Amino acid sequence: MIGLDFFIDNYGLLLGALFVFVGLMSFVYALGTMHEKGHRLEYYLMLLLIVGSGVGVAFSYNILLIFVFWEVSTFAAWRAVAYYRRAPEIEASTWTFLINFIAASILLVGILMIYNDNGTFSIFDISTVSETAALFVLVGIMTKSVTVPFHVWLAPAYGAIPTALGGSLAGVAENIGVILFLRLFTLSGHGTPAFMEMVAWLAVVSSIVGGGVALRSNKLRNMLAFSTISQVGFVLLAFAVGGLYGVVGGILYILAHALAKSGLFYGVGLIEDVTGEDDLTNMSCMFRLSPVLTLGMALLAGSLVGFFPLIGFFSKLAVIVSAVGHSPYLGIGAIASAVVTLLYITRFYHEVFFGDKCDIAKSRYKRPSNAAVAVVFMLALLSLILGVMFYEPLGFLIAGGQ
Amino acid sequence: MGEISAIFYVILLPIAIGLLGFVINRLRTELDFVAFLVALILSIRIFVATRTGIISYNLASMFGIDFRFYADSLAGLVVLFNAIFAILIWFYSLRFMSKKPGERTYHMYLTITLAAANGVVLSGNLIFLLIFWNVLVFALYGMLLIGKTDSTFAARKALTIIGIADYAMMLGIVLLLVRAGTANFPVEPRVLLADPWLIASYVLIVVGALAKAGAMPLHSWIPEAAKSVPASTMAYLPASLDKLLGIYLLMRVSYFIFDISGVTSVRIVLMVIGSVTIIAAVMMAMVQKEAMRLLSFHAVSQVGYMILGIGTGIPVGIAGGMFHMINNTIYKTCLFLSAGSVEYRARATELDRLGGLGVKMPLTMLSFIVAAFAISGVPPFNGFYSKWMVYQGVVELGDQISFWPVFLIAAMFGSVLTLASFLKMIHSLFLGERPRELDKVREARFEMVVPTLILAAACILFGVFAQAIPLKHLILPALSFPVSGIGFWTPALATILMIGGLLIGLLVYLLGTAMKPRRARVFIGGEVMEEEAARITGPNFYSSVHTVDMLEKTYSFGEGGAFDFYNYLKGATGALGVLLRDVVDKLITTLYRVIGEIIQNLGRLTSALHTGELYGYIGWIFLGGIIILLMLVF
Repeated sequence: MIGLDFFIDNYGLLLGALFVFVGLMSFVYALGTMHEKGHRLEYYLMLLLIVGSGVGVAFSYNILLIFVFWEVSTFAAWRAVAYYRRAPEIEASTWTFLINFIAASILLVGILMIYNDNGTFSIFDISTVSETAALFVLVGIMTKSVTVPFHVWLAPAYGAIPTALGGSLAGVAENIGVILFLRLFTLSGHGTPAFMEMVAWLAVVSSIVGGGVALRSNKLRNMLAFSTISQVGFVLLAFAVGGLYGVVGGILYILAHALAKSGLFYGVGLIEDVTGEDDLTNMSCMFRLSPVLTLGMALLAGSLVGFFPLIGFFSKLAVIVSAVGHSPYLGIGAIASAVVTLLYITRFYHEVFFGDKCDIAKSRYKRPSNAAVAVVFMLALLSLILGVMFYEPLGFLIAGGQ
Repeated sequence: MGEISAIFYVILLPIAIGLLGFVINRLRTELDFVAFLVALILSIRIFVATRTGIISYNLASMFGIDFRFYADSLAGLVVLFNAIFAILIWFYSLRFMSKKPGERTYHMYLTITLAAANGVVLSGNLIFLLIFWNVLVFALYGMLLIGKTDSTFAARKALTIIGIADYAMMLGIVLLLVRAGTANFPVEPRVLLADPWLIASYVLIVVGALAKAGAMPLHSWIPEAAKSVPASTMAYLPASLDKLLGIYLLMRVSYFIFDISGVTSVRIVLMVIGSVTIIAAVMMAMVQKEAMRLLSFHAVSQVGYMILGIGTGIPVGIAGGMFHMINNTIYKTCLFLSAGSVEYRARATELDRLGGLGVKMPLTMLSFIVAAFAISGVPPFNGFYSKWMVYQGVVELGDQISFWPVFLIAAMFGSVLTLASFLKMIHSLFLGERPRELDKVREARFEMVVPTLILAAACILFGVFAQAIPLKHLILPALSFPVSGIGFWTPALATILMIGGLLIGLLVYLLGTAMKPRRARVFIGGEVMEEEAARITGPNFYSSVHTVDMLEKTYSFGEGGAFDFYNYLKGATGALGVLLRDVVDKLITTLYRVIGEIIQNLGRLTSALHTGELYGYIGWIFLGGIIILLMLVF
């Protein structure tokens, strides 16, 4: 019934490699920044649990096993958010845990319903998924892969989590839900057309709502959290629409978003550490801090927006092709969300790195850690290399679908 | 096979050498020279090859997209001019940008922009084109960041506007890909605007093209940037390459991909955009008090003629629009570079701080005046001829659209106002009395004078020999259809030239006297007034149009940013953000909190039942027993 049911395909391989890489970067970042903070053992354990559960989900074909990894990831996220153990962090971690746990229970009900109908947990052997079971599973997926209206835990979690762990939360843990969606509904084709249509529209609405909130967020981490909500909507949209463009585009989007968002998270955390500020209206002219950081963040932001020499371009293009192929209205929604992304990212980047208050005292800024800047730049560089050589991941994924 | 490698190298080489030059700063000038020269040679080679045939090469097909190169005579023409402007402006920037902050990155962006522009023109698939188009956005953004400190605002504005237009274009291209099954071009037969989504696709791609070219209402970053970025950046992007690429794309989608001849309404919309752009931008230009800003509004205004010409759908009008594109890039680049030379020497661009520089900078003045007359459509300079062709196109439209005179009047009136505003500028820069602090100004450097003179010479050459050189060898071969009716006015050419000669004579006469302003001592209360205070400066020319009844309101709106698409965008996104953050998101969060409260209160209720007193628990036991009994009975 449940064993270590693993298999390897190109999709899982790419995602697994991505998660390990993001985890590695998080590790390096922590080496550079975490030395003065206590109980580091817990930190490294949680990092390994988050990355390990992500890799596990990417490779397993047993939905009960996926559920186990899911819960491991929830547990790790809970401990990670409460890392500093002050009152706001504990409250945030309670939110994270409770909402995720309740949603996971609903997911479990859905999984058991599927088992009842089919007598198996193996994704390859499941023959039908009833509408009710699909809805139960969807609640779990939407909570884990933060989608409106189940997104409320993310913003407090991002605000509380240590930077180094936040990068892997953004890059790994949030993708588990959409991977289950890909395996269970998109690739196996168990979702009814009406269900998939509904999910697609939910994803578009969630994406626009997330982006719209990010437009007005002054707290840097809050902005990143709602940006994540907005970007995961693209992935869910792609998987809900399906087809070659949808599947490949969605996975590429996970790749682009994980690299960009964890990089931006590290960059933001670095700026917060150095300046002691977390509000973008209070900072300007950060380009003086470090040109490498400025360039790296520009590339990461460009990848998130979807400009060409970065991997974000092709993933966004493929998602939009798939959406328009399904219905032009979905395509318009996706483009609207992309425009909102452009707007909040330019706002963020300009307020932080250029802005008009360059006279803020520089003397109190600490020197940014070289290892941390290097991590941001590595992620940016990888986005750039993958973007220029986009045919490599693209070909790899297309081959995986045949 | 040779042409195909030329296509590869004309794209790859500038990027590679540009990056190398950025890294090895000591050899940058030499490396850049090699890059631009080789690009020019390769461009000439492509141009020559496309005279006789079409180059087409499929790089790879992936994902249903053909990454293919395609060069016909239209592409050859634009590639050639890309390379010419790049090398001229690079040569100018050698001195102009030297020792300025950001010089190193500026030169890198010059090469990257050239490469990406070549990529746009030489690609044969709209998605492939979109890739290069995106690189251009990046390079534009980076280039605008180099300048005075407030250039970052202009860069952000440009990125936002161009970025949104890019997304519109992406959606349009994807719609075409999905509906028509291919994004390759040219398509035979051309795609008819048969269903609403195909019309949407055409319109969206055109939005991308027009934003690049800088048509209203997507123009507002150009005047904004003009205040703070170097003149050579303005000459390179909004004045030359952006125009070439935007109009190139407009031509491609209108006459090589879609078939818009059957849909009059689309063409009328294009022509209306063209006419409004001509008039509105030139009206704004007239009242500007700063040289670069004034020129930048003309850069917007002139796009109107190209769009108007292409929008007519009449062969002579289209040819006129294309010819105007080439002419405009020549004289507008010349104007920006000459004004940049003035700025370089006088260290000011505000019109009231300049004046009387004609004696000090005669060559710069010469090139500026030639280009100014060309842009105003004075014969025999090149702007006259292309505008004339556009007018002819509009007139020929008579059998299709009854209100064609509106467009004609708009175009001609715009021409008059252009001349008026350039008279103001010529006066403020080169004539009149010189402020005392400019007495030590000298002629601009050799590297800066040469490009402006070359461009001024081209203005004359392309005007006097319009039919023999540019039309015969450049424009007409680039069009896929025969053009008739250009020769309509040839018999009168001699007359025009004579009138032109007279005008020049008059001009020389005027300059002779105007350069030596008549001086009279001014007395105030019996005392000699200080000369500087009584200097007559240029900026207040036509300031009375400000006070004309209807226009007064319009101008005050315009200066308040009422015609700026970006301001509305900011307002709209602000409202959207407030709605989503403070209403939608807050509601959802409150809902969660309320559920949490309810659960907590339920918990309190049940814990309140546990009083800890024995009698209470005994009472509960009895109550439970009764309920069980009742259940057993019923």
